[in-house]
Amino acid sequence: MAIDFSIVREAIPVLLEGLRITALVSVVGIPIGVVIGISAAYAAQSRTLLRPIALAYVELVRNIPYLILVYLSFFGLPKLGVSASAMTVAVGCTAFYTGGYFCEILRAALRSVARGQTHAALSLGMTYWQTQRHIIAPQLFGFLIPPTTSLVIMMFKDSAIFSVMSLPEMTYQSNLLTANTFAYVEVLGATALIYWLSSVLLAGVGRRLENVVGRRTRTPDVAPLSTFPAKGKGQLS
Amino acid sequence: MFNWPGMEQMRGVLQPFVEGVVSGTVITLAASAGAFVIGLGLGIVLLLARISPLAPLRSFVVLWVSLIRGTPALIHMLIAYYMVPAMFDISISPITAGVAALACNTSAYIVEILRGALGTISYGQRAAAYAMGMRAPQVWRHVLLPQVIYRAIPPLTSEFTILLKASSLMSIIAVPELATVARNATLQTDLPLQVFAITAAVYFVLLFCISAASRVCERRVSRMLPHGH
Repeated sequence: MAIDFSIVREAIPVLLEGLRITALVSVVGIPIGVVIGISAAYAAQSRTLLRPIALAYVELVRNIPYLILVYLSFFGLPKLGVSASAMTVAVGCTAFYTGGYFCEILRAALRSVARGQTHAALSLGMTYWQTQRHIIAPQLFGFLIPPTTSLVIMMFKDSAIFSVMSLPEMTYQSNLLTANTFAYVEVLGATALIYWLSSVLLAGVGRRLENVVGRRTRTPDVAPLSTFPAKGKGQLS
Repeated sequence: MFNWPGMEQMRGVLQPFVEGVVSGTVITLAASAGAFVIGLGLGIVLLLARISPLAPLRSFVVLWVSLIRGTPALIHMLIAYYMVPAMFDISISPITAGVAALACNTSAYIVEILRGALGTISYGQRAAAYAMGMRAPQVWRHVLLPQVIYRAIPPLTSEFTILLKASSLMSIIAVPELATVARNATLQTDLPLQVFAITAAVYFVLLFCISAASRVCERRVSRMLPHGH
């Protein structure tokens, strides 16, 4: 089948317009999610009621498909008397999901920093938060950057799901274009290509950050093997 | 504001949905399992290509992995259902397209998992096998693959849970799996909160059981593997 490049040329500006919305959702949603994730990770470390809440939150995020969460919020919220635009729901879902996964990443990173360091700092008379700020946090970045890059790429890609609630992001624009032109090969090919190039770009930024941070901070002795290690092992307290 | 219908009334309204949930769950599980098995087979073939001495084969796998990991699973569904038939002038049923998309998607992640597992097997084993006069296919069949699969069990189960979650995207191309059943039920009953909460609960139970099983598996595997090799 021949590819009609005039359709591709017409489609690309429309798709890039959609990419702007896709990027906007990620740029707003992911940082909010990171903040939620940090709070959840420290809540999961505490010995209060916050701990089971944080753990339940992580389990919810890990065990419910993104699409179902999006459906539940987009169609369910109005029934609860909350009116939220597709954009708000998209940002909210991105933040909710990022939070759960970032919590797991941070918990794994915290576990990777030797527990003896916390004990040493505490016995030197530093408070808990001083220990976190001056001893633990500077060492975390080496552990955090690779899985966080994957998480950012994952959330960026998964924003395609917001097309189901007619948020005019890239996949939605692509669906409109194919519905109008039936040029599936050209339009879907261009869409996939734009997603791919953006992901490659994000991965490149992640690698650069890794190098910069790797030069500044001492690299951890043991690289984290997996983003999601088995739970309940060596809880940092 | 929010209006909970009476329990009896709600049960009556949700009755067809509750019946549909069973068939939807079966399709979700069957399609995920099928896609996983195909993806695992594809992943093994891709692994062999990835470490073959032929540079074009290796670069093909690198490109395949990068392309699939860099594009959304939703786009894979659309490509399998709309773009591939348009390219080759064929027609594909939604379920075939959905399973094919999921299998291709998961194969890219599986090949990286297997490559990671292969990296943990010391080169000495291969050298020893060759020294004993085994040929390359024998070395793979009897020495490497069993260990690779065994070591890859924990990450593979976690990949399966990701695949099961992604299978909900098949609702985009109208495969009658769990998410589609739920979507249709909300259109009929106008009870999206209840319907999607039940659906989320079903997925939660399925996925929670699988991850619990994977944790048990992981503990067994790590106990059985010798350390250092």
